[in-house]
Amino acid sequence: MACTSGGKSDVAPVPEQFPVGLRVLVVDDDVICLRVLEQMLRKCMYKVTSCSQATVALNLLRERKGCFDIVLSDVHMPDMDGFKLLELVGLEMDLPVIMMSADGRTNLVMRGIRHGACDYLIKPIRDEELKNIWQHVVRKKWNEIKEHDHSGSMEDHDRQKRVIDDAEYASCVNEGADEVLKMQKKRRDSKDEDDTELENDDPAATKKPRVVWSVELHQQFVSAVNQLGIDKAVPKRILELMNVPGLTRENVASHLQKFRLYLKRLSGVAQQQGCLPSTYCGPVEQNLKLASLGRFDIQALAASGQLPPQTLAALHAELLSRPPGKLVLPALDQRTLLHASLQGSKCIPADQDVAYGQPLIKCSSNIAKQTSQPVMSNEDVLSEFAAWSAKSLGDMVPACNFGSVVERNSNMLISFIQQQQQQQQKQPVIPEPSRSINVQPSCLVVPSQSSPNFQAGNSPVSVNQNCSFRNLALDYNNPSLQSNNSSGAGQNMEVECKPVRMHSEFGTAGSVLSASSCSKDIQDSACQRVPSSLSTISVVMQVPNINDMQSSHSGKPDLVQVSTRNPVYVGKGPSIPSRFAVDEHELPMSSISQMKLYAENNGNKVKQEPNDLTENVRVGIPVRQTFPQMI
Amino acid sequence: MDVVKQLQRQFIDFSTSLYREGFVDDQFAQLQKLQDESNPDFVVEVVSLFFDDSEKLVKNLAVALEQQVVDYKQVDANVHQLKGSSSSIGAKRVKDVCVAFRSFCEAENHEGCLRCLHQVSHENSLLKNKLQTLFRLEQQILAAGGTVPVLE
Repeated sequence: MACTSGGKSDVAPVPEQFPVGLRVLVVDDDVICLRVLEQMLRKCMYKVTSCSQATVALNLLRERKGCFDIVLSDVHMPDMDGFKLLELVGLEMDLPVIMMSADGRTNLVMRGIRHGACDYLIKPIRDEELKNIWQHVVRKKWNEIKEHDHSGSMEDHDRQKRVIDDAEYASCVNEGADEVLKMQKKRRDSKDEDDTELENDDPAATKKPRVVWSVELHQQFVSAVNQLGIDKAVPKRILELMNVPGLTRENVASHLQKFRLYLKRLSGVAQQQGCLPSTYCGPVEQNLKLASLGRFDIQALAASGQLPPQTLAALHAELLSRPPGKLVLPALDQRTLLHASLQGSKCIPADQDVAYGQPLIKCSSNIAKQTSQPVMSNEDVLSEFAAWSAKSLGDMVPACNFGSVVERNSNMLISFIQQQQQQQQKQPVIPEPSRSINVQPSCLVVPSQSSPNFQAGNSPVSVNQNCSFRNLALDYNNPSLQSNNSSGAGQNMEVECKPVRMHSEFGTAGSVLSASSCSKDIQDSACQRVPSSLSTISVVMQVPNINDMQSSHSGKPDLVQVSTRNPVYVGKGPSIPSRFAVDEHELPMSSISQMKLYAENNGNKVKQEPNDLTENVRVGIPVRQTFPQMI
Repeated sequence: MDVVKQLQRQFIDFSTSLYREGFVDDQFAQLQKLQDESNPDFVVEVVSLFFDDSEKLVKNLAVALEQQVVDYKQVDANVHQLKGSSSSIGAKRVKDVCVAFRSFCEAENHEGCLRCLHQVSHENSLLKNKLQTLFRLEQQILAAGGTVPVLE
């Protein structure tokens, strides 16, 4: 079975006796439950892999894509909220996930469904219940086939059909005959039917065909959404705007769904805690092909203040590819942003795994642009970037005149943020289903290798100190910092901040930028693990709460705190294309300093194992209020 | 043979009483069914895991409830954990106390929580003894060359 699940060549062939051999991953922090489940699943003739930590599970899933058919996860886990894991798995690997809990209260079950669970089992789980979990795998496949039909991918369709056929055949000999027959009938019936219900609210039900939402594609998507306005964005129109051959409305619909959920979570979380959802911190991984998240991203990023380098890179990439003016800064929940920034890293809710690097990047790029001039060797890139952000900002802040990126940008950024705050927009955060992006579990996007590049080490930005943007600025300009950049492996930080007029804060912004730019390249190499890096990228105006951040970072990969580490690149140190070097941006001082701070903070933490995702998530650098300083 | 038969009879009676008295429930029977040649000590293994865990949780709970300012969320989390694991092995009585315990946590009733804690600890010990007796009987049967009867 599951051969087609990942469509990967390393997937085992469909077993003859489906569902025998179903590859299950069980995640539960309770060892006893885990052991019992494992045994039960073995008795069902499934291939079981068990994990007691969500983060480990995610890594496993990422590393071995296509090697699992279904995931069973507990809801309450210490290192990561089960729902978060659920979403991430759904987004990244698109595997069916079944939630389990001893707590069977309706609201919890509802949450599970909303987060995309295929099923919700109440402990103690009986073996009969486990015997039937294969249905979710089949159903998903079947839905995908259906979508493939619509999108016209015959090859996939045939392949999937074969799987379903096999499954059906096998099922027929088992007890599931009725179900199979029903399935067959349904399949036949709906085959030619136009699937009109695109806007399916249940992510689990709307299975997208295996469309890889590459960064570019996502960018197009986001820009289309932005153009239409998140509230008015309907799949049909988005599809039209995107004008991508082969893409179906269903694809867009499910992607939109996820995006919306993501944004909602971001804002929702932020609202609750006044912080940015940790989602921002989301693993910005290799692949950061975050498509243009669009304004939401930026918001998210800003909110979370964590812009993992990858995100930044992605963002940057996106910005680059996007025609200026299209980007509208996400109407982030300003309040959230502010809060986030004010609150420091703690804000980021741990359970908001930000898996969307894009948003982060976007934000950072935005912010970076605004705050400082990206230190990019590639002037064009920068200017485009700047232009973009300027424009974006312009949209948001009408009064601003985006000309030179620097000061204006920063000011604008600040004002933008302020405006946002006032507007209290709650942008649903749509998790970036970056399949292409290898986002790691929330937040701990910490570059696996401690990025030496992180300048963080260098300039001990006393993030802790509070507020010293000035200091940051200094740090930023600190040659040592810069050298870090150059040393760069993966350091995007080329934030060569020019002597910031603004404050050193820009320095970070710069790095953020570079991060974004680099992220493209780096993504693959370094980004990978940067779940925590995400946070790092959120250089976004992190106001001197760096202290908080720092402390909070301690455990986590700095991703979350973009600011501390060199916001830009948290990833490993792939060499950043020179053109991505972030120029000194005249990032808004405050933001830059923040960024720097974060960078600093993060830099140290680069390698943190995301054991404590929650913690990390919290760290997500909240967007600090740098406004006052900037202006 | 007589010895084996006797032991087996003892085993059946004892097992039945455990179910009857609510020490264990159907989930425990499931555990026993899961045991097979490839996992011959499955039940003992899981039960041992449970007691290690539950003893630890009880200690944590005691500490948490001793604090000046009790963090009920923490207490609840621990109880939830205990509830989950006890239900996984079929430790019915322990689980039932956990259910009551959780209500007290929600109500932040310190007195109630303390009582539940004692009860939980007590039930835990009782169960441990009972299961140890059961396992011992199993061992004796096997040692005498017999097979452990499976309860229906």
